[in-house]
Amino acid sequence: MNLTRREVMGRYTQSIFGIGWAIAQPLATMAVFTLVFSRLAAIPSGGAPYPLFAYAALVPWFFFSTSVNSGTLSLITYRNIVTKTYFPREIVPLAQVGSRLVDLAASAGLYALLMIYYGIGLGPWALLLPLFIVMLVAFAVGVTMVTSAVNVFYRDVNPVVQIGLQLWLYLTPVAYPLSVVDERYHPFFMLNPLTAIVEGLRSILVFGRAPDWTLVAVSGAIIVVLLAASLVMFKRMDKYFADVI
Amino acid sequence: MESPAYLDEPYPLIRSTNLAIHLDGVTKRYRTGRSRTLVDLIASGVDGLRGRTTEVHSTSRGKMDGTILALRDVSFEVPKGAGLGVIGRNGAGKTTLLKLISRVTWPTSGRVRVAGHAVSLIELGAGFHPELTGRENVYLGGGLFGLTKREIDTHFDAIVHFADVERLIDTPMKRYSSGLYARLGFAVAIHSRPDIVLVDEVLSVGDAAFRRRALEALRQLITDGKTVLFISHDMWNVRRLCSDILWMENGGVRAYGPASEIAEKYMNEVNVEALANQATALQSHRSGTGEVRYLAVDLHTDSGAQTGLLSAGETLIVRATYRAHQRVAAPVFQVAIVDVDSGLVITTATSKAGDVPAMVEGDGQIRCRFEHLPLRPRQYVLRLSITDQHQLGSYDVVTAGPRFAVTGSGGGVDNLADEEDGLVSLPFAFTHAEAPKA
Repeated sequence: MNLTRREVMGRYTQSIFGIGWAIAQPLATMAVFTLVFSRLAAIPSGGAPYPLFAYAALVPWFFFSTSVNSGTLSLITYRNIVTKTYFPREIVPLAQVGSRLVDLAASAGLYALLMIYYGIGLGPWALLLPLFIVMLVAFAVGVTMVTSAVNVFYRDVNPVVQIGLQLWLYLTPVAYPLSVVDERYHPFFMLNPLTAIVEGLRSILVFGRAPDWTLVAVSGAIIVVLLAASLVMFKRMDKYFADVI
Repeated sequence: MESPAYLDEPYPLIRSTNLAIHLDGVTKRYRTGRSRTLVDLIASGVDGLRGRTTEVHSTSRGKMDGTILALRDVSFEVPKGAGLGVIGRNGAGKTTLLKLISRVTWPTSGRVRVAGHAVSLIELGAGFHPELTGRENVYLGGGLFGLTKREIDTHFDAIVHFADVERLIDTPMKRYSSGLYARLGFAVAIHSRPDIVLVDEVLSVGDAAFRRRALEALRQLITDGKTVLFISHDMWNVRRLCSDILWMENGGVRAYGPASEIAEKYMNEVNVEALANQATALQSHRSGTGEVRYLAVDLHTDSGAQTGLLSAGETLIVRATYRAHQRVAAPVFQVAIVDVDSGLVITTATSKAGDVPAMVEGDGQIRCRFEHLPLRPRQYVLRLSITDQHQLGSYDVVTAGPRFAVTGSGGGVDNLADEEDGLVSLPFAFTHAEAPKA
């Protein structure tokens, strides 16, 4: 908790817009996506306004990518503390993910404003929002635990993560709906939990309908396994951190 | 990653009620050289597939050229409420020891058992964020030491007062001096109510007043039944704080015992080594006009043995050879003893006692004899000069001549005497009489 506060407060002090920057990134990407994918490539958005369609997916996406990004480096960044004091090491990557929750909340606030602007109300399915937030956070934690721990030993992880995240954005139905993807590739998309999260959030918030339960169930299972495995792995590796960091 | 011979749980709880720390056959091995990258890993994997075996410690691969033993088979116990000084040369394993006890790192083999909450002051203020204010960092740092917000609320004023940062508490810590930074770090740590405090040479920061306060706070912890491990090269502070000393050498325990005894042995050895290794040549950059210069200076005891180490009460003979490049009339040779810490003890000159040569030319030798040197056990340095007969101009000045140390308990002097005891030991006796009653 303390480290999360430290992260958030440290990140936004001495900056004029402060927390505003948390909103700026998905907002700017939304503008670019709207121009490129909606206007130029004419990607369908299922009847919803494209900016809203894209933003609903970009908010969780940026939560995930910034969490993994800073989380991967977190143990190195906090080398000072890790090599000098004892505390459960998983706090460090967890604090990174936690601090991004603040950004998530801020950009979600803007999403609410967009909904009002476009005159779209929330249906009963919006009550499922906590489920998808939990899935999103759990998935981000699972991935960050693995990348941060391995990155302590092999710094190669960080560039791999950087490149991976770039590709991942386009392999996830963020800029386009899953429905435009050829059926043959759907099994591949199903293995990516972000597909279920992004599509699910869009279903319940933008279109006001039920999510694809098969997708949710498969991703839920993957996330649970990943989370458990990553925690076990992290605890097995963390006693060596101070020696090699 | 190789799987080392870890025990399942190298940090079992201490069952005994009177021990704070118990190390049992602890060995710590560090990998040296560059950390491996994925490329190395893949390369060794490929080698493995081809049926070649890559030994982790083989030197043939160069990049993974083995390991160093930071600690080898270290065992000792520290009772609760003890102040233990940890001394030894750089690289002896002192800091590794503290890291093991604070669980920052794990032993390669053996067991480390610690009773209660250990707080390590290896680097003060490591958890502080420079962009945040002192106030925010007190809460942040306190949280890292396991304090709740309410506990910090209770101690907040005491912490700020101890660090003496009232004026700057709402200023971002990047504006703090490094001394202030460390002071606040120390204050937070000391108020986190630890059972065991590990202090690593951190009292060198801050001014004298703060150092005294910090030492006092550590002493208070010991009085309260807490355990303090204190790494320092300052024997004076170690002896003031600690009842026992652990002397580390080359990753092992050299000695463990009463503070005064171990400190004396250690200082003697350090002195011996320093004095044995000192260069016999005199410093080359010297002031003076140079008509006469010293060539060499050596130190002897009464028995004629050349030494830099004397027991209190021994006789010291300084023998200096000189060379006069031209005829010089009535030069005055001076030999001064300077206390390394406190300054000049005595200046002697041939003009005050002894033969004053009427004229010198070529090589010669002077001897200066200090009878039954009444000096305190400390380190001293000789200052030598040659001046004209009126002592107005200097031919030669050696500001840092040979060093020597007075060690001995032979003369009945307490070794490592307190600074308050002064520079010299003089025989003295008191008598006492009550005023006659009216």
